[in-house]
Amino acid sequence: MLKCTVNGKEIEVAEGTMVIEAFKQAGEDIAHYCWHPGLSVAGVCRLCMIEVEGAPRLMIACNTQVTEGMVVSNNSAKVQEAVKWGLDFHLINHPLDCPICDQAGECGLQDQYMKFGQYDPEMAERKVKKRKVVDLGRKIVLDTERCILCSRCVRFTDEVTKTSELGIFNRGDRSEIGTHEDKPLDNDYAVNVVDICPVGALTSKDFRFKQRVWYLDNDSTVCNGCSTGCNVNVYYNEKGYFRVKPEHNKDINDYWMCDKGRNIFKHVNKESRLLKAMKKTEAGTQMMAPGAAAKDVASLVKNYSSEQVAFVFTGQYTNEEYDDAMMYVDKIGTKNVFHWVNNPESFDDFDGILLRGDKNPNTAGLIKALEAKSFNATWEQLEADLNSGKIKLLVLAGPELQEYFPDIQEKIQLFSKAEKLVVLSSNPNPAYRDVDYLIPMKTFVEKKGSFTNFAGTVQKIQKMRLVVSQALSLNEAMQLMAGDELQVGANL
Amino acid sequence: MFQLANERVEKIKSEMKRYETKQSAIIPALYQVQEQYGWVSKEAIDFLSELMEIPVAEIREVFTFYTMFNQKPTGKFHLQVCTNISCSMAGGRELTDYICKKLNVKAGETSADGKFSVSKVECLGSCDTAPVMQNNFEYHENLNEAKIDQIIESLQKLN
Amino acid sequence: MEAKIISEHYTKDEFIGIDGYKKHGGYEQIANAFKMQPKEIIEMVKAAGLRGRGGAGFPTGMKWSFLPDNGEERYLLCNADEGEPGTFKDRKMMERAPHQLIEGMIISGYAVNSHKGYIYVRGEYRHIIELLEKAIKEAYDAGYLGKNIQGSGFDFDLDVYSGAGAYICGEETGMISSLEGYKGQPKLKPPFPAVQGYLKKPTIVNNVETLASVKYILRDGVEAYRKYGTEKSTGTKLFSVSGDVQRPGTYEVPLGYPLKQLIEEECGGLKPGRKLKAVIPGGSSAPILNAEEAYKVNMDYESLQSVGSMLGSGAVIVIDDTRCMVDLLDVTLHFYHHESCGQCTPCREGTGWINKIANKIVKGEGRVQDIDLLETVAKNMMGKTICALSDAAAMPTISFVQKFRDEFEFYVREGRSKVKGQTYAQVHG
Repeated sequence: MLKCTVNGKEIEVAEGTMVIEAFKQAGEDIAHYCWHPGLSVAGVCRLCMIEVEGAPRLMIACNTQVTEGMVVSNNSAKVQEAVKWGLDFHLINHPLDCPICDQAGECGLQDQYMKFGQYDPEMAERKVKKRKVVDLGRKIVLDTERCILCSRCVRFTDEVTKTSELGIFNRGDRSEIGTHEDKPLDNDYAVNVVDICPVGALTSKDFRFKQRVWYLDNDSTVCNGCSTGCNVNVYYNEKGYFRVKPEHNKDINDYWMCDKGRNIFKHVNKESRLLKAMKKTEAGTQMMAPGAAAKDVASLVKNYSSEQVAFVFTGQYTNEEYDDAMMYVDKIGTKNVFHWVNNPESFDDFDGILLRGDKNPNTAGLIKALEAKSFNATWEQLEADLNSGKIKLLVLAGPELQEYFPDIQEKIQLFSKAEKLVVLSSNPNPAYRDVDYLIPMKTFVEKKGSFTNFAGTVQKIQKMRLVVSQALSLNEAMQLMAGDELQVGANL
Repeated sequence: MFQLANERVEKIKSEMKRYETKQSAIIPALYQVQEQYGWVSKEAIDFLSELMEIPVAEIREVFTFYTMFNQKPTGKFHLQVCTNISCSMAGGRELTDYICKKLNVKAGETSADGKFSVSKVECLGSCDTAPVMQNNFEYHENLNEAKIDQIIESLQKLN
Repeated sequence: MEAKIISEHYTKDEFIGIDGYKKHGGYEQIANAFKMQPKEIIEMVKAAGLRGRGGAGFPTGMKWSFLPDNGEERYLLCNADEGEPGTFKDRKMMERAPHQLIEGMIISGYAVNSHKGYIYVRGEYRHIIELLEKAIKEAYDAGYLGKNIQGSGFDFDLDVYSGAGAYICGEETGMISSLEGYKGQPKLKPPFPAVQGYLKKPTIVNNVETLASVKYILRDGVEAYRKYGTEKSTGTKLFSVSGDVQRPGTYEVPLGYPLKQLIEEECGGLKPGRKLKAVIPGGSSAPILNAEEAYKVNMDYESLQSVGSMLGSGAVIVIDDTRCMVDLLDVTLHFYHHESCGQCTPCREGTGWINKIANKIVKGEGRVQDIDLLETVAKNMMGKTICALSDAAAMPTISFVQKFRDEFEFYVREGRSKVKGQTYAQVHG
């Protein structure tokens, strides 16, 4: 460990720590645009200026290592003046179009301006004209005038994805970020460049113009898009859920997430949800409250002997839901419990960065819950028992992210061989049209609990804003189906 | 249709082995393209990327950083007049105007017949013989209007 | 009086080829070097007081001794990216004496224990690249390059690399980036090239003239070398003189030579009827001197520093009383604006900004406050960036404005040049 003094605060840092990290550790403000903890040091924005005792010139904190006894500060008039001018240089060719810029509210330039600026600009010359609204494919739009050439995005494609689609072309104040011939920036992690862009140069087509960021709340949770379990922040308000961004976890996803994971909020919003339970009757489909439907199923369960009842689970629910669910399965008394593996052939794939072939957030948790009760029935047995007519009632704890279950139609056809088929699902699906009961479920942002990722790490998810208040969690549904009453307020 | 001559492709391949890394062959490769075409097109960048197995953005970065690589079609004779300090003091700017007028082009542009391009360039390292210009790579020093007349006249005779 | 050491044989055409070069003692110092331990050569260069001739004036022997003392592979790069406006002395050497540079590189390569060298030549010097390639081939054929040179057991390969039009590649880490096949953008320091340079290997970058000088230190010895120059600025130096003198050209004089004498004797003085107004003493980045300063200063590192300027690359641009300083600053700033690599914000934005302000003044559209703004912006560009290009643009700006403020004020007030009495459009059409 090394001792150093940051703006008068004495702290201890690990060897090899850069001064900018020491500032963060000390809780001292330090302006920076190009430095990003997940990328190499560029040292080009020149904002993280510091004064080191004994050094004649100002230095940059991102490329200066802490040495034993170092006394460093950024609160002197000399540094403050340098930072003020650093901001000015960033702004002279910037269009200052904040009112129509999507980054407004979370823009590094705005933040700095509020701190150091708030005066009329000195620049009276014509700004450099550059290209606006450059289409970089289906995900991203680029505005090269807003760009401050911090090179974070270029370093990201060079260092993280190693795809090198982006470059800085031309020279001096004519420099522009871009791809060759505006080829799409379409790798599986491309939208991370939107997150790391400190200004509004790179914006996400999906999020652009949807919401002002200051009207959004956010909470941390775990991505349910695959078994990696990336830590994410989900942004929402009373109108719904709007975007997902990665949250740093050095052991799991560092600062990044894949672009597929960016879509995990889409099925959550009301317009895509199953709002009421549906029961198939001879007169047609009857709408009912989810709880009532689950109770209906409880009486159905009683009509069959326990070995005629089967449950099929997907790896999309929480550990806590599985634990309770298995308890109720036990209560019902069946051993017919099955694990629907959605894509067996690519289940073990890994792209070397974050994306895994197991498109479930909690396969590990499901397996553990099944093992705990020694439920070890095979899928072949399920098929045989359905074909032989042994299984009369099948309850499916259906997938929340249906897009990762391409065989849904085919599987429902198989399950329909039972006399009665009950499907628990957060969202409708054409394949569910003829099931006997379809019961709305909560999504991963509407409940508390935990997921266990591929490596066995247990991570909490958070309850945010309810979208379908009547929807059930798996344990609630199971409890009701097992014939128990639900305690109000006891839900997870 | 972009078609780099075989011997130039071979030259690029040998340049890729000449230096410690093939990356160093990007500048020589761009010269090969420019010497054949007079400029470097987008197709050429794609071609080099494929030939050299180097990401296309990296080649484009290099291409657009160095100002000797032309980003648009350039005349057979590229007259590059120095307008830096010593040459400006010796009349480099007025001489550029003279050349432009004579060839009926603007600085930075190419004559209608595609024969001449005129550019103002930075210091050519020949300040003792100012004003100077390069016709492609050939230096012309201690210039004046009469010399320009002579040079252009002899170039016009070439085909 | 000129002191022709490096440039002694420049006038002889035969000196260009290897045979003529050898006739005048060429390649004799290689054998001399091989008799010494590499460290002895480094010590000799240190003792001689040789300082980098490219611009920064850093002591060469000290630079060499920053190399890690291990067997790690290392490179010796010759900076022949001569681009500082006003500078042409390296071009002249390579045109007239390519083998002198090659010999200097072999000796220096031996001294720093490098087995691979590159001469990075600016792309515009195509004729020199061809000439050097030919000379290198001659040297290989004669056994001065390649494996086991002259039976010494020392191997040294040398190649030429062509730039493609970027002043910034004259900055040593910019040159390394360029040689590596990237944009010629300077690299963050630390690490310094001597520790991590070309391909992250220890690398020494020296100017053409510096490397050639090493040969003469070996030939003549430390004492003889130090006979020229001053205590801290030793030896002779090639000066590129251009602008308003009768005989512009390359002149080799001892460091410490009076600028007045260089202008009046070597260069034949000003044109008839003209008076000295200003001198840029070390390439366009060097703060400009007014006539009074120019007449009292000597051409060495310390003397120029004492008047707030620098020796730089030794490019002397002489400016007489017919010149408009506002116009010349505009021309100068256009260059830095054009050449900023664009990496560091203060330089990328600042060079454009001050160029636009100067240009606006020259076009007769300047505001009174623009004069102070020029100076303020320039001051805030200094010492803030990875390399010195930002400072190189700021220094002429500050010195032009401070020393010739009356011309700037006149221009802003009247929209025309104080010296020419005319507007820009009237002068330049």
